[in-house]
This record gives sequence, C-alpha cells and structure tokens, in this order.
Amino acid sequence: MINVTNTTGTEAAGGVAIGLERVRRVFDNQFVVIEGMDLRIDAGEFLAVLGPSGCGKSTLLRTIARLSAPDGGRIVAEPDQFQAGFVFQDAHLLPWRTVLDNAALPLELMGAGREERYAKARTVLAQVGLAEAEERYPAQLSGGMRMRVSLARALVTEPRLLLLDEPFAALDEITRFNLEVQLRELWQRRGMTVIFVTHSISEAAFLANRAVVLARRGGRIKLDRRLDMPNDRTNDLRSDPRLGHEMKFLMGAMEEE
Amino acid sequence: MKKFLPPLIPLVVVAVAIEAAVRRGALPSYLVPAPSAVLHALFESRGELAGAMAKTSAAAVVGFALSTLAGIAIAVLLSSSRAIQRAFYPYAVFFQTVPIIAIAPLLVIWFGYGMKTVIASAFIVSIFPVIANTLTGLLSTDPALRDLFRLYGASPGVTLFKLRFPAALPQILTGLRVASGLAVIGAIVGEFIGGQGLGSVVDIARTQQRVDKVFAAVLLASALGLALFGLINLISTATLRRWHASEAGQ
Amino acid sequence: MNRREFVSLCGVALAACGKPNKIRLALNWKPDPQFGGFYAAPYQQHGLDVEILPGGAGTPTVQMIGAGSAEFGIVSADELVVARARGNDVVALFAVFQNCPQGIMAHASRHLASIGDVLKEGTLAIQRGLPYARILEKKYGFDRVKVVPSPGGDISTFLRDEKFAQQCFVMSEPLQARHAGVDVKVFPVADIGYNPYTTVLAISGAQLKSDPDRAKSMVAAVREGWRAYLNDPKPTNDRMHELNPSMDAASFAEVAEAQKSFIETGQLGVMTSERWTTLIGQLAELGDIPQVMPAQDCFRNV
Repeated sequence: MINVTNTTGTEAAGGVAIGLERVRRVFDNQFVVIEGMDLRIDAGEFLAVLGPSGCGKSTLLRTIARLSAPDGGRIVAEPDQFQAGFVFQDAHLLPWRTVLDNAALPLELMGAGREERYAKARTVLAQVGLAEAEERYPAQLSGGMRMRVSLARALVTEPRLLLLDEPFAALDEITRFNLEVQLRELWQRRGMTVIFVTHSISEAAFLANRAVVLARRGGRIKLDRRLDMPNDRTNDLRSDPRLGHEMKFLMGAMEEE
Repeated sequence: MKKFLPPLIPLVVVAVAIEAAVRRGALPSYLVPAPSAVLHALFESRGELAGAMAKTSAAAVVGFALSTLAGIAIAVLLSSSRAIQRAFYPYAVFFQTVPIIAIAPLLVIWFGYGMKTVIASAFIVSIFPVIANTLTGLLSTDPALRDLFRLYGASPGVTLFKLRFPAALPQILTGLRVASGLAVIGAIVGEFIGGQGLGSVVDIARTQQRVDKVFAAVLLASALGLALFGLINLISTATLRRWHASEAGQ
Repeated sequence: MNRREFVSLCGVALAACGKPNKIRLALNWKPDPQFGGFYAAPYQQHGLDVEILPGGAGTPTVQMIGAGSAEFGIVSADELVVARARGNDVVALFAVFQNCPQGIMAHASRHLASIGDVLKEGTLAIQRGLPYARILEKKYGFDRVKVVPSPGGDISTFLRDEKFAQQCFVMSEPLQARHAGVDVKVFPVADIGYNPYTTVLAISGAQLKSDPDRAKSMVAAVREGWRAYLNDPKPTNDRMHELNPSMDAASFAEVAEAQKSFIETGQLGVMTSERWTTLIGQLAELGDIPQVMPAQDCFRNV
C-alpha cells in the first residue's frame, strides 16, 4: 500500500491509518451484517466503499466512526486518538439554527468559545463556497447548499478522518458533479483519510484512489483495487477513457454473484 | 381585519337566525336565550362578570402554567429511559381518563374552598396533552442528529437542551394549544365545586333559571379559552417562523 | 241495533282496550322517601303507563316539562313560579310536602340559638341561587360567614369541620350526621317565614289543557300511592333502595318516618291560593320575578 500524501501541503491536517481485524457486526443477535472483515486503510487515503443496498457498508462506516462497537474483532487506529467528521445521506442540519451556527456546532459541542468557533466556521464555509449564506436558515437553502453546509460542518474540526455515507445521492447531477470536485480539492488540501460509501460506480471511480467492493451479504470484500487515475480530478475527466476503464472493473465485481 | 372576517360571518348569521326564532316564539326563550338577551345580561352584570372572569382567568393561567412546567418535566423524565417510560406512563394516562367531576369534591377536601382547588382542577385536566405531546416530540429526534451529537462527545444533558428540546418544540406547542382550552374547562369545573369565578356565576344563574346570564358567562369563558389559544399561537409563530413548515408559510 | 251503531260500539270498545298512556315522570333527586308515594302509586289501575326517571344534582325538571322530554316532573313551588315568569308554562297539580323541609344544619356543640347565629362565623354551604339563600343574605348579610357551594347530600366536610354548616332536608342529612356520631341542630327555613310547597308534581299547561283527564288520573293514582306509602312504606322502600343503594334500608325507614310531619294527610296533595300568593309576593320582592302573577295560574287541584 502506498501512503498518499497531500499534494499542496498548505493545510496539512494529516490523516489517520485505520486497521480492521476480523471485525464482526451482528444485528438482533442473529443477522450477521459483517462477517470477520480485515481491512487496512492508510493515513490520508481516499477510499471508496461500493456495494448493493443492504451489503453492510453503512454499518461499516458507523463502526469505524465508533458510533457502534464491533461485536467481534477490533479496530486499531494510528494515532489512536483522533477526531472524525461524518457526512450523512441527507444534510441533517438543525433547522432552528443559522448556517453559521450549524457549521460551528461540532466545535460548540466540544467546548470551543464563540469567537474561535465562528472564525473556523467561516473559514470552512468559504471553502465550500457559502460565505454569503451564513445568516440564512436551512429552510431557505437548496438541497445542494444544505449538503455543502453539512460538509463544512464535518470539516470544521479539521478531522483526520472524514466519513461520508452516500452524501450526494439525493442531489441532481450537476450539483453532484461539482460537489465531487470540491470534495476532492478539500481532500487534496487537508490530507485527511476519507472513506466514501456509495452505490454509484462512476462516483467511486471519479473520487477515490482505492475502491473496495462488498458482497451482497456478510460484508465480504470482493474486490480491492487501486484506481489508475490522475491526481487532479476535474469535470473534464468524466469523459476520459481511464475513468470508463476503471468503472468496468468495478462493475464487473459488482455484477458477479 | 381581513383575517377576522371569515369566522365572523357564520357567527352573525346564526345569531340573527336565533334572535328571529326566539322573537317569533319558535324557540322557547327559557331554553335558548336570544342573543340580544345575552348581550343585555353581559352589560347588566358587567361588574360581577368582570370580577368573576378575573378570578377564572387567574386560576386557568396559573393551572396552565403549572401543567406546562410539570408536563414538560415529566415528559423529559419519561423520555430518559424505556424502563421508566413503561413503568410510569400509564399513570400519566390516568390524568387523561379520570373524570374531573368525580374527583373535584376530593380536591375540596385537600385544598379547601377557593383558588387552590380551582387551580388544581385546571392543572389536572390540562396536563396530559402536554405530557403526551412533549414525550412524542422528545422521542422523535432524528437519529442521525443524535449520532452527530454523540460523535462529538455531547453529554445527554447537552443533547437534551441543544437538540431534543428544540426539535420537539413544534410538538410541544401542539400540546400546549390543546391544554390551554382544557385549563379553562378545568377551572370552570373546579369553580362549580369550589364556589367562585365564572363557574360559580353559571351555577347560581342556572339555579335562578337565568339562561341569558348562563350564556353570558359561558361566552366569557369561551373568550378566555380563545385568548389563551391565541397566545400559544403567537408564541408558536414567533419561535417557529424561521424554520418550521407549520409557520413558514405566514 | 243497526250497522252504524254496531261499528261505533266496536270503536269505543277498541279504544277502551287500547294501550295505556305512556308517561315519563322526572324526579329531581335520587329515589328516596320524598318520592315514596310516586313509586307506590297504582298507575296501571288508572290506565297509565308511567316510567319514573330518577334524577340527581341539578336535574332540570322544570325545563324538561317545558321542552317535552317528560310529561310530568317533580319541582319545588318557587322554581315553578320563576319558570312561569320566564315564559315556561308549568302548572302544579299535587304537593307532597305542605311544609318546606329545607333547613340549615349546624353542629349542636356550637350552641347556636337562631339561624342568624349560623351566619356570624365559620362556613355555610348553600345553593346561593335559591331564593331562601338570598332572603337570608338580605336579612342577615353574608359578610361574616364564608359561603361555599352546597356539597349536595355529602356530609363528609360537615363531619370534619365544627364550624361548617350546610343546607339540608330536615329529615335527611341531620339523621345521617347523627348516625355518624355528630349531634346537630337544625334551623328550618320555614322559621324565617319562607315556606313554599316542596316536592310538587307538575305538568305543562299545554298538556293540562289538551288532556285534563289524564292529569286527573295521574293525581288520583299518586294520591292513592301516597296513602299506601304512609300506611306501609316498607315494600316501596325496598324497591327504591334497589334503585338507590347509596342509602341503607334502615335510613330509608327512618327518613320515611321523620318526613311524615311535613305531609298533610287530611287534604293530601291539595294546595291553597293563599300559599301561592304569599310565595309569589316574596319572589317579586326578592327580584327573582319581574312582577307578581295570579296565583291561580300556578296550580290546579284536580
């Protein structure tokens, strides 16, 4: 495995390396969602997790985020204390708070003072292109803008690990394309480890350096592939034959069962 | 003004119809008073009615305030654990089902004749909707947001104040809307037994076969209920205007 | 006889064999000795099918008669006069209690001499809307006593609080109190000169006009019923006790005996013009009715 380092090196947050050793997740004492998974993720890696609905990819993400403990096996991290950011399928903003207060929420929950957290929130909002909207309420924003706030919120603590669970699935294509580009840029700048769950092959191929494809049941890894793609991903790349080439591999693994 | 016109029209139409029917003798005036007689009674007994309304209002407001505070507190407690909920929620339902007419005499034994009994009655009748709606609101918090709060290490107390409570506000206000009217009813019932306010006016006027005065007092009681309801709506608009679908369209 | 005579004879015969008149009699309290005669009355024998509707606190019998939800009802004379003043044509037919058995009861230990003394301190539970309550207020003032609503037959507060006085039926609540170990002194309302006929059988003026014979039959049946009840209350008491278990059999017997002094046996149920005129004058003076009305309008001895 090659350690991926950030290319521009200006806001190096650094990443965290994650190791899953025979990790097991069971629901209701009987339904085995993930059966003994071994997986090593390097610091600063951009990993896509692909699979059909119900294959356990969301469960995997939540387990890595330490929102649920594994029922078997263990997860090791290097460094073992780290801050994670999570982007859900829908923006899930607090509707009674402004965009600024929403973006600043993680720092507020961690005890940061007002000036500090507003300054940092403004920074991330600018990075996702929402500097003008900080006084607005979620009800007044479009779906795409709300997702960007959610992204900013996840980044405001400068996390070493960023987890995303099909964040762009509900958005229209153009918005999705642009957000994908933006996410990639943010990753390049900060260098955190990113785990991106999706069921879109094109999205996985466009965004990630490495992709794992999970089986229909039990969380078995059917394919683990380093993607042969250039470092800089722009919308022009979408018509590049290399993208189609990688997609074919991924599709093949998704289809066979 | 435009907002008040639609509900006024049916009221005026019905009032005119009843007035005509009573004057013609089609409706017996000792069973259904002519609206003009009710207005006359309102004016004639205005001093007595004003004093009575002040007492009923005070009792209803205090009873309602107490049921708001206690109801929300009880709901918070019930929402904290499944076990507590299962053990104690049936007792909360008791507040809903107990017939207030039957226990009002007991209230007099405990609180004596006067304001305390009336407030207790208003409280008992109005607390359940507050508990039920607040509980529903607190238990319906978005699980993803709960995860988010956990991700950043928020304590249950912080999660309650910064997430669950604000998220439950629309539901809480729904409960308060229902409870406000019930508090007035509870106060009136308490006054039948406890002997003051509009309830007492109704009871005495009824014994004197003064239907016009009965209706006048009932009208004032309804106005009180309407005022409380309007107050809750005002609060709802002010707090929810910027973010909740129910008020956003205003 | 010819054909036509035969047909009319059959018609009359058929009418005579027809179903008895269906009648609802609304009481203004639960079944107890004050209604004994009504439960004992031989209605069937007078061609009447009577259903007795028990009442309770606040049963609006005058309004029920006026609205037609009962053909007959039990009312008190003063509420009948007020109803007439409000345009409700109700007429009295038969008065059970010649003398009003209402009163105020107080703990004997207070050693009160008159009804006025009751109003000097403590609490008085009374229905403020009743005429005699306002007569008391006018005469003695309610400024020194705390006036609260009547608990309607429930004496629990009275038993616990020595300074608590309450309105009562002279032969009812005081007996209950004595049974519970509290000695009471009773002040009859009649003592202040207010003595309306009580537990009065009434009918709507319209019904009386359209079917006077039915009213006559009803009164005749009721009169017989009261004679029978006064003679031997036990069987009727048993019937009423089944309908109203809140009072035990011994109390039924005791109250039935105690109430006899209020019932005039000679002219059972009959009313006089003078008594009605006095009552009407008192109510007009109180302001409960706007002006006096002819006593003859209020009652009929059928």
